[in-house]
Amino acid sequence: MWRPDRRAPAANGAVLVVLLLLAGCATVVGLRHGAVPKPAREVLPNGVVLIVQEHRASDVVALQLWMRMGGRDEAASELGLAHYIEHMLFKGTPTRPPGSIDTLVEGFGGASNAFTSYDTTHYDFVVPAAHVRGGIELLADLAVNASFPPGEIDNEKKVVFEEMNLIEDDPEKFLLRRLYEVSYSPHPYGRPLLGQREFIQKLTRDQLARFYRKHFVPRNMVLVVVGAVEPAQMRPLVDATFGRIAAAPPAPREAPAAPALDRTRRADVRRAEKQAYLGLAWRTAPTGNEDIYAVDLLTYILGDSPSSRLNQTVREQLRIVATIDAGYGAFEQAGLVTVTARLEPADLERAEAAILDVIRKVRAEGVTEAERQRALITAESSYAFDIETAEGLAKTYGQAETTWTLDNELGYLSRLRGITATQIQAVARKYFGDDNYARVRFVPEGASP
Amino acid sequence: MIRWALVALVVGIFGTPADGVAQATRERLDNGLTILVRENAVAPVVAVSLLVTMGTRWEEPSNAGISNFVHAVMVRGTAKRSGAQLAEAIAALGGKISATGEVDYSEIRASALSRFWRELLGFTAELALEPKLAPGEVGGERDWLVGRIQKRRDSAPARAFDEFFATLYGAHPYALQVLGTPQSLGRIDHAALVAWYRRFYRSERMTLAVSGHVAAAEVLAEARRLFGRLERGGSFTEPLRPAPVNPGTRRAFEQPAQQAQILVGGIAPSLDHPDHAAVKVLSTILGGGMAGRLFVELRDKRGLAYTASAYYDPVREPGALVLYLGTTPQNATKAEEALLQEVERVRTEPVGANELSRAKGYLLGRYAMDRRTNERLAWYLAFYEVEGVGQDYAERYRRAVEAVASADVLRVARQYLGTLTTVVLRPR
Repeated sequence: MWRPDRRAPAANGAVLVVLLLLAGCATVVGLRHGAVPKPAREVLPNGVVLIVQEHRASDVVALQLWMRMGGRDEAASELGLAHYIEHMLFKGTPTRPPGSIDTLVEGFGGASNAFTSYDTTHYDFVVPAAHVRGGIELLADLAVNASFPPGEIDNEKKVVFEEMNLIEDDPEKFLLRRLYEVSYSPHPYGRPLLGQREFIQKLTRDQLARFYRKHFVPRNMVLVVVGAVEPAQMRPLVDATFGRIAAAPPAPREAPAAPALDRTRRADVRRAEKQAYLGLAWRTAPTGNEDIYAVDLLTYILGDSPSSRLNQTVREQLRIVATIDAGYGAFEQAGLVTVTARLEPADLERAEAAILDVIRKVRAEGVTEAERQRALITAESSYAFDIETAEGLAKTYGQAETTWTLDNELGYLSRLRGITATQIQAVARKYFGDDNYARVRFVPEGASP
Repeated sequence: MIRWALVALVVGIFGTPADGVAQATRERLDNGLTILVRENAVAPVVAVSLLVTMGTRWEEPSNAGISNFVHAVMVRGTAKRSGAQLAEAIAALGGKISATGEVDYSEIRASALSRFWRELLGFTAELALEPKLAPGEVGGERDWLVGRIQKRRDSAPARAFDEFFATLYGAHPYALQVLGTPQSLGRIDHAALVAWYRRFYRSERMTLAVSGHVAAAEVLAEARRLFGRLERGGSFTEPLRPAPVNPGTRRAFEQPAQQAQILVGGIAPSLDHPDHAAVKVLSTILGGGMAGRLFVELRDKRGLAYTASAYYDPVREPGALVLYLGTTPQNATKAEEALLQEVERVRTEPVGANELSRAKGYLLGRYAMDRRTNERLAWYLAFYEVEGVGQDYAERYRRAVEAVASADVLRVARQYLGTLTTVVLRPR
């Protein structure tokens, strides 16, 4: 219930949570028993990165293809394509007719999943270890031979429209989406990952295929293999599949600056729900920036658990919100710390003022050593629970390799431990002001904020 | 796109404990409380699940939600510390603790870094056996719960499911919502909460399960020390519950939303019923995964729905098989027709061998994948105990699923999808 909630919008109908800041390292000091070994990282001649780790929690293997490509790589005429490709990839290849991929994977008790974010997209399988070869062959086939059957493209449009409706119906997901929009626009991180209805309606197979060929090149690919495997046996399998993909230069990635936040970035949205929602967002450090460690700890201290400051003050003492959480979305080009709450509409102004007060106090007085310790333990615990499953561990590696570096990920917890209370206070002062935040409020119809 | 839970494991290796996951140790204390411990060295974490046979199954419309309400007040503090102090103490273990009422049971669940297992077990016992249940907390928690009920009503899928169960189960308590209603919560006062707690929190109604990087003998000794002093509660008369009768009606209603919700289904066997495995396979053929018929036919081929799945959750008394679609209002009528065609098809045509095999692989793979994290392992241990099916249930279930033949699927489809209850929620 109180696991870290590093939240940001992601395009996946099932679950929203995209783990943005990687709470973890593979040589955790706190691991008394059975510390996880370091993963092996290799780069194939064509540029594909292979990360392998043995993990024998159960007799399965997680296979994840991470692409250094996401919603931010879409040109203005391509909005929503990264996500649309995610839908279409499983539809088939010249040797695999529509429907056969799901039947194959599910038939041997495996499962597939896919996620689109701003910096990355990834395609995941979990299969019994005995099927690791078939799984890698399948992923490599999807990576370059997707056939985008024309009839399937049109059918999938309805599905994507439904996905848009579904997000809009969920106030928490939609709040986060609007908060990112208001905080980042016109930067690509402010776009809806699903694209716009009008554009998707007119989408053609040519557009899809062009986008696919441009971005699905070896140097954009990271294959992560974690599970009940012999690491030494993986390289030959990967050489024979991903290794045969012809090298090609990846499309250059643009890096527009994210806009500064101020009081003009506000939106009030009328909604049918009876309760109100409040979302505030401050621009903070991107991945690769030295401040991420302190910002991460500060986010834990502010709003990660029932004992966090926002929970204790705004929910428990003042009792003016039903729920309140803080999340840190760190991307390659910018970071955002969000505070979201569900509350009665009459309390919207008071709650906002109370949140600002809590932050003001951190700026003025800093955080306690006990809070810093709790935040560290929470980070360690979060990682320990992530690595219970092969796919959880694979995800931390894939995310790190595509948006940061694997070494940074592996050293993350020990870096966190070195952060002092003074440094936490310093990032609070640097990033969290009284005016430099964006705000979105969902106000019930008929109520006044 | 929805590519749901991550599932794997072949049928053949299902049920084999993974490296480092030992068989569970089970002990029943003299006071009737059951303790189960599973050693699992996969990660440095530990999870605790304390199940008490107390939930909506024992509730009535007038006090619906009381089991969950009791737990909401329980977590506000114990005889030794306030709710805030408890939250802080648990956070210092890298842990979390929560308590809720469910349908067949209520649960206190907790987890933490395994080096703190002893502290975690201590806090679990403290919360279960010495809750403060302070009168001053009742009003605030009631308001908070009413807010959650409101949120649930605002959510179209949740609202549709609640309406469906209410319609399907009629006078049976499975018709009630776990959260209750604003009216029922308004009637429940402090005295009622204390009485409800005392009536159910008895040693013989409790099962404590622990899974994680721990030594079973140490955990057992500590659990005995913490829970052994509890005295038996004495005799308990189970209330009579009317058998649910599927009304076979169709209800439609409106509320603000983007998506239309369509639920069709019927009463299905309980967890320990001989037909349970066959109905699980039937449910998977229709709505399990992306190769399920509803997903393939309605979503992939015809684009008539975004969400297309089936639910059949294991419960002690008659369960419910629910076929569920989420779709645009424009497609709602066509989608419902197509859903009924799929029901007709599965009731008249035998399922082919490949499809049957896919469904079993998916079902057992999903099941195995769900029993990997310590939180789930602890819950399963306690759950099978309170449902009274025994710790060998997983293996018996696997064999039962593997033995399901095409003729069994046809038979249970005819039997359990003969009378259909339908609830449709349309956007207003």
